[in-house]
Amino acid sequence: MIRESQSFQSFTEEPIRLIGDAGEWLAPFELDLSTDQLVTMYRHMLLGRLADERLSRLQRQGKSTFVAPSGGHEGAQVGIAHAMRPGHDWLYPYYRDVALLLAFGLPPIEFIAQTMGTRADPNRGRQMPYHAGSRERNVFTIASPIASHIPAAVGTAISMKLKGSSQVTVVTFGDGATSEGDWHAGINFAGAQGAPVIFACQNNRYAISVDFSHQTGSENIAVKAHAYGMPGYYVDGMDVLASYYVTREAVQRARDGFGPALIEYLVYRYGGHSSADDDSRYRPRQEVAAWRKRDPIDRFRRFLEKRSLWDDKQEAAANAEFGEMLASAVRESEESGTVPLEWMFDDVYAELPEHLRRQRDELIG
Amino acid sequence: MTTQTMVQAIARTLDQEMGRDDSVIVLGEDVGKRGGVFLATEKLFDKYGPDRVIDTPLSEAAIIGAALGMAVNGLRPVAEIQFADYVYPGFDQLVSQVAKLRYRSGGQFWAPLVVRMPAGGGVRGGHHHSQNPETHFVHTAGLKVVYPSTPADTAGLLRTAIRDDDPVVFLEPKRLYRVVKEPVPDDPQHSVPLGTSVTRQQGDDVVLVSYGGSMAETLRAAEALTQQGLSPHVIDMRSLMPWDSNAILEAVARIGRVVLVSEAPRSVGFMSEVSATITEELLDQLLAPPLRVTGFDTPYPYAQDREYLPSPNRILKAVQRVLDY
Repeated sequence: MIRESQSFQSFTEEPIRLIGDAGEWLAPFELDLSTDQLVTMYRHMLLGRLADERLSRLQRQGKSTFVAPSGGHEGAQVGIAHAMRPGHDWLYPYYRDVALLLAFGLPPIEFIAQTMGTRADPNRGRQMPYHAGSRERNVFTIASPIASHIPAAVGTAISMKLKGSSQVTVVTFGDGATSEGDWHAGINFAGAQGAPVIFACQNNRYAISVDFSHQTGSENIAVKAHAYGMPGYYVDGMDVLASYYVTREAVQRARDGFGPALIEYLVYRYGGHSSADDDSRYRPRQEVAAWRKRDPIDRFRRFLEKRSLWDDKQEAAANAEFGEMLASAVRESEESGTVPLEWMFDDVYAELPEHLRRQRDELIG
Repeated sequence: MTTQTMVQAIARTLDQEMGRDDSVIVLGEDVGKRGGVFLATEKLFDKYGPDRVIDTPLSEAAIIGAALGMAVNGLRPVAEIQFADYVYPGFDQLVSQVAKLRYRSGGQFWAPLVVRMPAGGGVRGGHHHSQNPETHFVHTAGLKVVYPSTPADTAGLLRTAIRDDDPVVFLEPKRLYRVVKEPVPDDPQHSVPLGTSVTRQQGDDVVLVSYGGSMAETLRAAEALTQQGLSPHVIDMRSLMPWDSNAILEAVARIGRVVLVSEAPRSVGFMSEVSATITEELLDQLLAPPLRVTGFDTPYPYAQDREYLPSPNRILKAVQRVLDY
């Protein structure tokens, strides 16, 4: 059942890295991506970063009640998105997946409206910010309880295997999730079934304030794959091309029927866990500053500039374009209006039951 | 009609539904090769194979969670939890994921799945083979909850549950699994709607309401009352969410006296909800307070297995109190 990848080694001591600090290509193989693909990856990372900043601003303006900062995660997230087939594969994201969802094709209006809880939210304003979902795009609606989506992701993958479809499921989560029972329950089932599911861990080394050494005795997340009968890959998540290529290979391997894999992307979360968190209580400022120097967007920009694929003019144009895109999404979201009170009673069941109809009438009359 | 036990009715209904609809699959511990520890899934593996009858690892979280993931991708899974007492490792999956999926996704995703579990005491199983956790599920918006007491109802309700687009927790009174044999319709379309009760006996003096395993003792108490010359009106609820408040309120409005029987622990047990509803709606018509006869607020005991359950004597004492009021 286990077939090791041909290009990438599993269980490496050091994270797999393809782009050097100065933007040089380190891989022993030829880059097989077009200019368009490379530029799109960069643009998606930039959009993710700008969206993260815009969402923080929305909260400060009182238009949103909560922020889960994602700055620093863009390399891993965009790499994952580009390694999948949107509209075909299924994605089971978690609450920090901003760049990932946008790169996967979720329209900014849907993400922003969900954050603001307005009528334009396809999820009908039911959840707090950062809990998007889209049936149209096979993106399972995010739920707050950590790792609770993992068994379902495995179930979807098993159903893909049973149907003989060429689809793959990718499920994302942080380092903290790997301690939850649901995580172990799910990944174990996936291994037993040989299900086409990729477990994509964005390890930013903190679960709110609990650092990695308090989370697990394992030396990293990837080694845990040994226990479940699948390969584990250790990747530099601040490197979008390493993230992309390793994920692409694991996804193809799953698509070919060789089963699941666990991929750990080492990333850093510049912001706190959320707007309710004060990370200065548990992280030294020098640590945050040191990781900023390894910023995934800066590094990939250097890579593109070395190949004359990007410049200041394009940077300015993209910033303006995305700024306007996000601002327009905020406007559209506001214009759609607040969700009606009656919606509170819908979608509990397929049909409104008698006892809920009475409760609704009691409230609304 | 075929005379069947409850467990035979379950196995045949599953077979009929799986034969009718390729998307119906079964998963759980021991459901495949062994046919289930109670034989509720007997012979399904031989007929439908490992792609539709899945032996899972020992993990209720994996069973219920994976059922959800299959359900959103076009399958209609019937998951088995080996004993209701073991639902708790998968409780979060049921409550946080399954129950809330339609709501939190704004109706984009939903969970057409069934979670079957043998429940209830009287089998000398003690704490962890005897529980009645139905209240937890009724209290969780988004779940439907069913608890039949006869083979025919089990077949009809299971069929409805499988075809329902909402998630259904299907509790089976295991001490009645093989005790009663009765004719079960052969018709593969025979179904019982959720949210409906059935009147087992028409009467005028006192209303007895119960569900699941306790229907057995309730009917024995009713027989004793009948022999004393009294006329009990016995309702088998069958369905707890939704539940048939119309039938119960109609009977209590007419008769004015009611005893509610459930083997689950007393405090905040499901009959508390029925009692509160009766009191809110029918205060003027009541001739006595609604009384509950229930299990005790203890973990389910081993040595006192029989004494824990609401006995016909305890039911008759409660009936006497409401008649004397």
